[in-house]
Amino acid sequence: MSTTIGKHVERFDAREKVTGKSVYTGDIKLPGMLHGKVLRSYLPHARIRRVDVEDAVAMPGVVAALTRDRLPIASPYYGSFVKDQPVVALDKVHYAGEIVAAVAAEDEAIAEEALKRISIEYEELPAVITIEDALNKDAPLVHERLEKKPAVFGRGMKSIEHDGSNIYFHVQYERGDVEDGFRSADFIFEDSFFSAANQQYPLESQIAIVDFNGEDFTIWSATQSPFRIRDEIAGLFKVDSKRVRVVIPYLGGGFGAKSVIGAEAVAATLSYMSKRPVRVAFSADEMFKTICQPAAKMIIKTGVKRDGTIVARRSEIYLNSGAYSNSVSSIATKSCYRAHGPYRIPNVTTDAYAIYSNTVPAGAFRGFGGHQTAFAIESHTDMLAHRLRVDPVEFRLKNLLEKGEEYAAEDTPIDCDVKDLLRQLSRAIGWTPEDRKPQQTTTKRTKGVACVVKDGGGTKKEANAIVKVQADGRIVLICGTVEIGQGSSTALSQVVAEQFSCPAEMVEFATIDTAYTPYDTATNATSGVFTMGRAVLQAAQDARDRMLSIAAMALDTSELSLENGKIVCRGKAFNFQEVLHGTEIVGTGECKFDRNEQIPIGYPTPFWEIGLGAAEIEIDEMTGDIRILKFRSITDVGRIINPLHCRGQEEGGILFGIGQTLLEELVYEDGRLINPNLTDYRLPRFRDLPDSLVSVIHEEEEIVGSYQPKGSGESGILAVSAAVCNAIYNCTGIRMLDLPVKRENVWKAMHSIRE
Amino acid sequence: MDAVVIPIHFRLNGENRQAEVRTHELLIDFIRDRLDLTGTKRSCDIEICGACTVILDGKAVSSCSIFAYELDGKELTTIEGLAQGDKLHPLQEAFIERGGFQCGFCTSGMILLAKTLLDQKPNPTRKEIQHYMDANICRCTGYQMILESIMLAAEKMTGKPA
Repeated sequence: MSTTIGKHVERFDAREKVTGKSVYTGDIKLPGMLHGKVLRSYLPHARIRRVDVEDAVAMPGVVAALTRDRLPIASPYYGSFVKDQPVVALDKVHYAGEIVAAVAAEDEAIAEEALKRISIEYEELPAVITIEDALNKDAPLVHERLEKKPAVFGRGMKSIEHDGSNIYFHVQYERGDVEDGFRSADFIFEDSFFSAANQQYPLESQIAIVDFNGEDFTIWSATQSPFRIRDEIAGLFKVDSKRVRVVIPYLGGGFGAKSVIGAEAVAATLSYMSKRPVRVAFSADEMFKTICQPAAKMIIKTGVKRDGTIVARRSEIYLNSGAYSNSVSSIATKSCYRAHGPYRIPNVTTDAYAIYSNTVPAGAFRGFGGHQTAFAIESHTDMLAHRLRVDPVEFRLKNLLEKGEEYAAEDTPIDCDVKDLLRQLSRAIGWTPEDRKPQQTTTKRTKGVACVVKDGGGTKKEANAIVKVQADGRIVLICGTVEIGQGSSTALSQVVAEQFSCPAEMVEFATIDTAYTPYDTATNATSGVFTMGRAVLQAAQDARDRMLSIAAMALDTSELSLENGKIVCRGKAFNFQEVLHGTEIVGTGECKFDRNEQIPIGYPTPFWEIGLGAAEIEIDEMTGDIRILKFRSITDVGRIINPLHCRGQEEGGILFGIGQTLLEELVYEDGRLINPNLTDYRLPRFRDLPDSLVSVIHEEEEIVGSYQPKGSGESGILAVSAAVCNAIYNCTGIRMLDLPVKRENVWKAMHSIRE
Repeated sequence: MDAVVIPIHFRLNGENRQAEVRTHELLIDFIRDRLDLTGTKRSCDIEICGACTVILDGKAVSSCSIFAYELDGKELTTIEGLAQGDKLHPLQEAFIERGGFQCGFCTSGMILLAKTLLDQKPNPTRKEIQHYMDANICRCTGYQMILESIMLAAEKMTGKPA
């Protein structure tokens, strides 16, 4: 009966986007709009003695100035875990790049000039930059006071509090008895990995326009989390959330960088002070100083039997959260739960730590910690196989969880035949024992594989949807999933169209406006087509059924069917409006997950995100240059809604992975980020596209529920780093334990091995 | 900071125009704020990403890094000038058919850069496209689908498979 699911439907935003007509936040101009600019600290850690904005305020054209001494808001802190981040620095600055003051002026040039007239006196404090710095026994504390927030988990998982420490969040997962497990092992191997901090770099930086009219805030923002922004702004000004309205234009990408407050808080405060609309658009440099992916250190110790059976694993994960907590506590929780990987390991203990430092605050990033743990786990898995002198693919096949097998007791069973996908991948690349023999030639060429399973869809997410059939026969979908480029507005409309047996073009996706759109947690965790998809499906079925019962009354028969956007009755087709007679139908749907204390995280995993990858690489021994010649991935999306856009998600993810593997790294010197721009921070470009890039999108037969699509935004990224590093080992015998893999390090390692 | 104002004459998407620009006014600001053509996007601001690419006398340039007065006597094409009424340019059609964009923020620049490629070389090879298009950054698509879009556009425009 499928009319649109699984078929190519042109993106709803296609014509607008290729003609330049699509409106992003930065394209909106309001009458009387002021321009806000932000002054940022150049010191990583300092007490603020004095902030003087008198000269700036005296400038003609400057309308408002915001500092800690001019902060007309009820509660200056925000944050998605604990509220630890102020709108402007109060007593201290906690990182170089922190907002210390802001001005709103008639134009950008005046605002920029005004910033130069602000003087600030600091008292410099010792700073901690790296994970090691922050964990040092005598390390200065980034935050003297830690706000305690007990986390509620389920069986086997608990949070542990630390006093007088930069560790603000520590989660531990235990099952079986890890010490017993190690005692029963024939071999124990321990390895340590590091992934550098990265920048999400959506092409559009954080930007917001806020119009406070004396009563209400109206916010146009490039955010992935309209309702979170609403609640945070309401919290800052202690007003009812209905007085804050968030409207979402098109977004120029997100990748996690727009999951929490960006430019909204400063823009809202300046608008509150000036009673005029204020636009705050962060520059590329400012985006680098607003959020990043946490740098991660992971130590994994595994006990194995002589026959290759894994019996125990002890892992430690350290995440550099930067100056504020943001969502890194959740990333720690997720990383903690992922540390045993997709393998059958009876005895596990994992500790994950979120650690403050005087660096740019970390937060959500495509994969939400999945990439860092995957790199460590899948490198380590390969290392185990090599030490046991067994084939890495065979070693994985021996230990991989079966489809239907529990990942952890009571949680959603593994929903994909991962072993079969690994066999398919290994066949497709022609994997042979020859592929893992070190080569003596100057140019070495070989393959590497990795196989990743990650809990997908977020935790405890809530989604609501409304489907209206208007009296004029148009179908309107109202839901809060933000179109950040992933194609969700089209895919979700296809879900509606399927229920009405109509072309997707008959469905209109309503603009998101928190005043009218039903609540949704956020657009993140690849939950769009899964969690929101279910709410949309329910709303569409509800609306369809109501419409059909009205039609049944109008036509005096229950023998009705829907065909091609029409109601068919006794061989005659009616437009919807012909049977609705001026009535409007409203269908509603929701998707929520109930708490289950038996599950470690406390809520069921919505679905398993499956990402396998094989890299074929070439290394030049003379230069250390690594080229990815071929990359092949297999991901499971359950059921494809829109094939072209699905492929776009996977391939985009792979290039993200290539960037993290070979190129991207935020570099600090003297406590300051020294490469906050695209000259010094190298993003993947056309030249980094492998000669052959194949993304195989698998549709696993369902094992739970009737609605099959799974999220697809993050799976492509997962396997890249480990597959590449495993390939490097296979042809050189050199194990790269730190990301990104820099060619000078490869070169040094190859030449020291020779010596 | 009184600015010197310079009168300029130029062609904008096929039409004769004149304006007065300040000496330090950047082309991107002139296009977005004064001409109200917001299809041209600002991202890195330092001529690296190509989101602000426009065509000036047949050459792709980063409008974030040149002055508005440099327009004088030249022909400017922005993304708004590519379609003929409702009829999309073959590149625009191809980007839709082959998934050459997602968030759309790099798209104007990508399409205009690709146009300058196809204007010079109607049937480029995959390698030639990859080399030429390396000037612009896309964070969403992974590039391959842009590459395929350009090959399809070349095919549409020349009638020959690329």
